[in-house]
Amino acid sequence: MNNFLIILENFLAESGIYVLTFILMALGIFGMIVSGNYMKKLMCMNILQVSIIFFFLTFGQKNGATLPVVLEHLLGAESYINPLPHALMLTAIVVSLGTTGVGLALLMKIKDIYGTIEEDEITGKGGSKNE
Amino acid sequence: MEKHLHRRKQRKKRIIAMIILIIAVAASTFELATFLPTIGELNTPANSYISEYYIENAVEDTHSYNIVTAVLADYRGFDTLFETCVMFLSGITAMMVLSTKDKVSKSIEKKSDDVNIFESDIMDNAFRIIIPIIMIYGIYVLAHGEISLGGGFQAGALLASAYLLDKIIPGFRTVLDRITEEFALVVAGVGSFIYLSTGLLPMFNGGNFLEYGKLPFGSKSIETVGYLHSTGILLIEVGVTICVAGVIIAILEVVLERTSFDE
Repeated sequence: MNNFLIILENFLAESGIYVLTFILMALGIFGMIVSGNYMKKLMCMNILQVSIIFFFLTFGQKNGATLPVVLEHLLGAESYINPLPHALMLTAIVVSLGTTGVGLALLMKIKDIYGTIEEDEITGKGGSKNE
Repeated sequence: MEKHLHRRKQRKKRIIAMIILIIAVAASTFELATFLPTIGELNTPANSYISEYYIENAVEDTHSYNIVTAVLADYRGFDTLFETCVMFLSGITAMMVLSTKDKVSKSIEKKSDDVNIFESDIMDNAFRIIIPIIMIYGIYVLAHGEISLGGGFQAGALLASAYLLDKIIPGFRTVLDRITEEFALVVAGVGSFIYLSTGLLPMFNGGNFLEYGKLPFGSKSIETVGYLHSTGILLIEVGVTICVAGVIIAILEVVLERTSFDE
């Protein structure tokens, strides 16, 4: 039992956060497949994006390193965490905000034309609101 | 009957999707030991080659102490230019999609600005104090882009969030002037233009596109190259801030204008 706990602790320390990001990603995909409401689909797409951003950010970690702002007394690449994933994901976050805005606009257009954003009612399956 | 069948079909789909995703997560978890590097390791491929160069040479090359800003605004300045353009384009697209006002159905009515149904003193007074602080913090983050933690994207989001709080808190008597979505988009375009013209300015002085060391300001001694790099980074950060804030405000305005609380 004690041995198992040590193995579990090592696993969680070494790659536990990968499992969490995978679970988050699976939740996003599951929501996008299953939910019939387009607004919920958009929110699940955002969750998926967040999980991918987390996944990239985990690559930037280094043991014993500090923020990527250069200090006078700290030299060498091992003292600072990897700035590259942070720079890439910073733009990805902002662009995901833009895509979410476009998605919201499209949803409002769908609501204008069909009067609903439920997938069932738009495609005619599963009975309409009048039934 | 058909409805019942459809619902059962949907439940089946849901269960199949859940099983497949659980299998995928479990499989990827077991693959982790060999496939992905352990967290915090120093010599992973992601931490080795170009990242080391950026960390060791960023201050010398770009005179920006924040390495993330150095990568974003100087090494990958061309990339960030197009990220800003993507942001601007998304604002234009959102407005184009929602711009046909004649087809709006009758159920969606404009919310009138005068009626405060949800009036609340706490919200009113708290956010009246918070909004100026958020705006000052946004400017602070913008100005600290190249010397400490900060940057244009974050500053733009902060400035826009101040306006957002002013707009969407129910019962809040507006203190900021209303910015129309057209004006916000024009402002966002101006931000992109500031970025682009900062890139073009060194070309009049014999440099390359986005080569901040050859900006046509000041003397051309070797000591001022660092200041020129800081100036260039600050200029494009200002452009990015204006663009991001404008686009967020434009999307917010264009969405909120057609929102109603009747359902």
